Amino acid sequence: MSIFGAAVSARLFSVIRFESIIHEFDPWFNFRATKYLINNSFYDFLNWFDDRTWYPLGRVTGGTLYPGLMTTSALIWHTLRKIGLPIDIRNICVLFAPAFSGVTAIATYYLTKEIKDSSAGVLAAAFIAIVPGYISRSVAGAYDNEAIAITLLMVTFMFWIKGQKTGSILYSSFAALFYFYMVSAWGGYVFITNLIPFHIFLLILMGRFTSKLYVAYNTWFIIGTVASMQIPFVGFLPIRSNDHMAALGVFGLLQIVALGDFVKSKLPPRKFKIVMIVSLLIILAIGIAGLFLLTYMGLIAPWTGRFYSLWDTSYAKIHIPIIASVSEHQPVAWPAFFFDTHFLIWLFPAGVFLLFMDLKDEHVFIIAYSVLCSYFAGVMVRLMLTLTPVICITAAVALSKVFDVYLDFSSAIDPQRRNLTSLLSRLIVSGTFIFYLYLFVFHCTWVTQTAYSSPSVVLPSTSPDGSMALIDDFREAYYWLRMNTDEDAKVAAWWDYGYQIGGMADRTTLVDNNTWNNTHIAIVGKAMASPEEKAYEILKEHDVDYVLVIFGGLIGFGGDDLNKFLWMIRISEGIWPDEIKERDFFTPEGEYRVDSRASKTMKESIMYKMSFKDFPILFNGGQAVDKVRQQAISLEDVGTLDYFDEVFTSENWMVRIYQLKEDDPEGRSLKEVGDFERAKGKLTKKRKITKPDLTLRV
Amino acid sequence: MQLKMNPLLVIFISSLFYLFQFQVVNARSLTGSNTLVLYDDRLIDLDDYSKFFESLKDRSFQLQFQDLSSKQSQLDSNWIEKYNNLIIFPIKGKHINRQLSVDSLLNFYENKIGNILTMTTPDGVPDSVRLFLNQLGIYPSPKGQALTDYFQASSSSSSSSNLVIPSSNLALTNNYIYQDYNEQFQFGSRVSVAILDNRDLIIPVLRSTRTSFDKGPMKTSWSNGSQNYLIVSFQNLQNNRLSWIGSIEFLNDSNFDMESNESLIKELTKWTFNEKSIVKIASLGHAHSNGISYDDLKYKVNDEIIFNLTLTEWDDHQQKWTPFLADDIQLELKQVDPYYRLNLKKDEMVVFNDNVSGQLYSTGPFKLPTRHGVFTFSVEYERSGLSFFKVEDVKSIRHLANDEYPRSWEITNAWVYLTSIYSVIGAWIIFIITFLTTSSSSPSSSSVASASAPTVVTTTTTTKVEKKVTKKLTSGSKVTETK
Repeated sequence: MSIFGAAVSARLFSVIRFESIIHEFDPWFNFRATKYLINNSFYDFLNWFDDRTWYPLGRVTGGTLYPGLMTTSALIWHTLRKIGLPIDIRNICVLFAPAFSGVTAIATYYLTKEIKDSSAGVLAAAFIAIVPGYISRSVAGAYDNEAIAITLLMVTFMFWIKGQKTGSILYSSFAALFYFYMVSAWGGYVFITNLIPFHIFLLILMGRFTSKLYVAYNTWFIIGTVASMQIPFVGFLPIRSNDHMAALGVFGLLQIVALGDFVKSKLPPRKFKIVMIVSLLIILAIGIAGLFLLTYMGLIAPWTGRFYSLWDTSYAKIHIPIIASVSEHQPVAWPAFFFDTHFLIWLFPAGVFLLFMDLKDEHVFIIAYSVLCSYFAGVMVRLMLTLTPVICITAAVALSKVFDVYLDFSSAIDPQRRNLTSLLSRLIVSGTFIFYLYLFVFHCTWVTQTAYSSPSVVLPSTSPDGSMALIDDFREAYYWLRMNTDEDAKVAAWWDYGYQIGGMADRTTLVDNNTWNNTHIAIVGKAMASPEEKAYEILKEHDVDYVLVIFGGLIGFGGDDLNKFLWMIRISEGIWPDEIKERDFFTPEGEYRVDSRASKTMKESIMYKMSFKDFPILFNGGQAVDKVRQQAISLEDVGTLDYFDEVFTSENWMVRIYQLKEDDPEGRSLKEVGDFERAKGKLTKKRKITKPDLTLRV
Repeated sequence: MQLKMNPLLVIFISSLFYLFQFQVVNARSLTGSNTLVLYDDRLIDLDDYSKFFESLKDRSFQLQFQDLSSKQSQLDSNWIEKYNNLIIFPIKGKHINRQLSVDSLLNFYENKIGNILTMTTPDGVPDSVRLFLNQLGIYPSPKGQALTDYFQASSSSSSSSNLVIPSSNLALTNNYIYQDYNEQFQFGSRVSVAILDNRDLIIPVLRSTRTSFDKGPMKTSWSNGSQNYLIVSFQNLQNNRLSWIGSIEFLNDSNFDMESNESLIKELTKWTFNEKSIVKIASLGHAHSNGISYDDLKYKVNDEIIFNLTLTEWDDHQQKWTPFLADDIQLELKQVDPYYRLNLKKDEMVVFNDNVSGQLYSTGPFKLPTRHGVFTFSVEYERSGLSFFKVEDVKSIRHLANDEYPRSWEITNAWVYLTSIYSVIGAWIIFIITFLTTSSSSPSSSSVASASAPTVVTTTTTTKVEKKVTKKLTSGSKVTETK
């Protein structure tokens, strides 16, 4: 109970330090979807066609999201209303993650209890409650799929361990049901889909096949797979996508092994050997040939890009820039492991080793889990999240083993076997670990408070006098959009801001964080990277009214659009290699510069012009220093902007909004209009009139 | 229904009844008849143009004259708001740039309903008007450059300096501005020309003769031959109109007496001041072909819908709105690119009241594309000389909901699978029944049924296999049911 409390309270830092606000990007969509769900029926939600995103394609939202999160919070909302506690849906969404992390702690307790004993369980629960690696995704306001998914992951594993231990259909069915819940909540369910078969496979290889395993796995697989196919977004993937093939394969293998087991009991061993070898070879050949054939014929979906990038970290960078461009998909820096898990990271291998010593069936599961996850977490930051629970479990196992031995003062109390050195060593060792625990708690609190509680919509900063100041440019700009633009206005921005614009400004966007259509994203990238005339044409074609860019040069906000610009270029180059070339945006020396040495293409791109428009004027026309890139921009560097009107720039210049100009009524191109406006004063003073250079009028 | 409409249209519709009540009895221009005439009394004597002004006054124009010859004279500060039409005679001197700047001209022409009739001659090409015309792609010849045609001078007996242009030089491709083609036009002696760029908004009205060129202080001529234009009209995207004439003698009383000049001037001013060739949308709508509107039931893919449009045209002879007839109006249904381009077919005539009747155009029932998304219904009709109209209506077309697909038993192909599923289920039930009944009767099989018997370990697995099979089968049927 107290662990539950700790788990919840640690995550409330963000609410205290900032306010009850939805964080980051994806949660804004989940929030919007939840609102839609509580305002409409579940049926409407399931068939929701969202015409306010991905203009003009629209998004079949009901069929392309994992509804678990929204359904759960809508259910909570309805339940609370029924019992007379009407709570604003926003608060439910904000506090959703902390509440569920409490549940995670409980599930982890039971899971670890199955692995070792209840003392390890308590430790594991305590760890998971406050470990930063998990808190990072479950602070109040982080209303994301992961918030509920980790809870479900733990619950599913708990029931699975119980199921395979006892061979109970009941527990396996529970595992399957929670697996279904997990599928409905997070795309990371594939992890379970592969881990459990992997566990079974290992056990079979180890010759530990029992009927218990057979019952547990079949129950889980059949119920789980059929149930998971009920989620519209998943659909027929479980039988078509290669990501799910392992589960299917193990299912088949298990039947064969069971049959082999049966045959073995009927036949003499010598004959059995021949039968086995022959049948194994045949099965293998058929299996491989079948797989190749089906993939070749396109019946089975090829491996997804995210999957490839799991094996080859540079794959995405070369082939699928959109995946690589997401910071979550970058490899982890090593210090991050320590940062996120503190001393658990070195207890983790010790725990795995201790599990090896025992090596019961369930230990194999944890070992498989930890090995797989360590690798994946090394490849993608995002998967750090799935690694954290197993670190907690194994570390708890290791620590409780240590405490089992060294916290046992029974010999010290017993006067006959009193031994001073042994007592001393026990005191020192347990003392050290208790000190580590103290440090861990301290570290966790600190990390949570400083690093993970920022909503990233509102940025903390310190004002010159040292007091804390909040940079609230995003909300300022979104609010401006909401109040000052037409309700149907279409806003083009890089996809990172799509959900926020949809959620906070309530305006139609071209692309958003649900990156389902690479080409559409590339269109926006192309527009940003093109010179004005071309960009205008592209944007006009898509009925865009406003263009929003993020510029951090004035206050040194590193995550601005100019820094993301290379990804925009790469993504659009992938579609239009003839028109957009990454090389053109670098200086001849191959540097990415924005100052006077920037390449011509760079300076002509609207992203450059929109970011730096009037920036040098802010410094009285002198050298303006871009604080992010540490380069000086002068007035001559920034070209004129004829096709767009600057309509809004936020307080710290972080968000700049431009409006597309109307077509000129007289049929001039807007460039000509701009040239005319600039030259107007001179034109009337000119004495000599020169004949215009015109082609023949036909 | 959110319609993106041309601002002019909005004004039209909102002022519809106003127009019906007053325009018919009082003024004839549909966009207002307050007219400002700017002139330079060093260059013209207004009395020479009395007939021209008289014809305007007959058509209910309120003319306000302002002489801009001196530096002191000032225009009303709110002239842009006050007047609907502007007639600019040639004016000499630089001071005009201040009094009537390019900006104010552009502003007048762009931002409200403002029509302009302007003339330049070799004696007066005001800078601001010249620059303004340049912005429209009309380049009148500079001051001093006068049109000459030696061929005509030698052949013409009456007056060597009077330029006569046959109506075969009319450059119009349709009759929205002018339609009589069998005359000659008198242009007088001091004539400017203009060259044009290839903008679509320009409507060349009258060409100069093939043998003409201009001469003056410039070293080379401004232009020559049939690239010389004497009368040019222009309609901008907001349906404001402008005409430029390269001569003022063309309008003066002696030439106005000529029937040809008079009819061309009349028609040209009628057009320029929005008295004719104006089309507007009287009504517009689309709905399901069974009459249910979009608001009641949103469109989904493959729905059958109808798009209707009623158009009326101002008839300046009858002084009322009459049906507008055309065969080339198209509806575009587009999502970035057009998915459909449908010809709108003439349907019935619609009479709104005594003064307004329109022609109903309809696509007839047509099927929406199979692609879901946000689509734009747009009709854009831009014909040179006729007022433009463009309407866009953005509507979303949703996908099929999960229960709107045909059920599995409605698809004949699926019968194979349905049969196999249910036959396996049936076979399994029969098998269980027979298995249970036989096992209870015969003592030999009773040992098989007792799964806990330690001696037959393997049989436990087999029963379990069967159990699994059950699950598999039932679940298999689930899949097909939910499809």
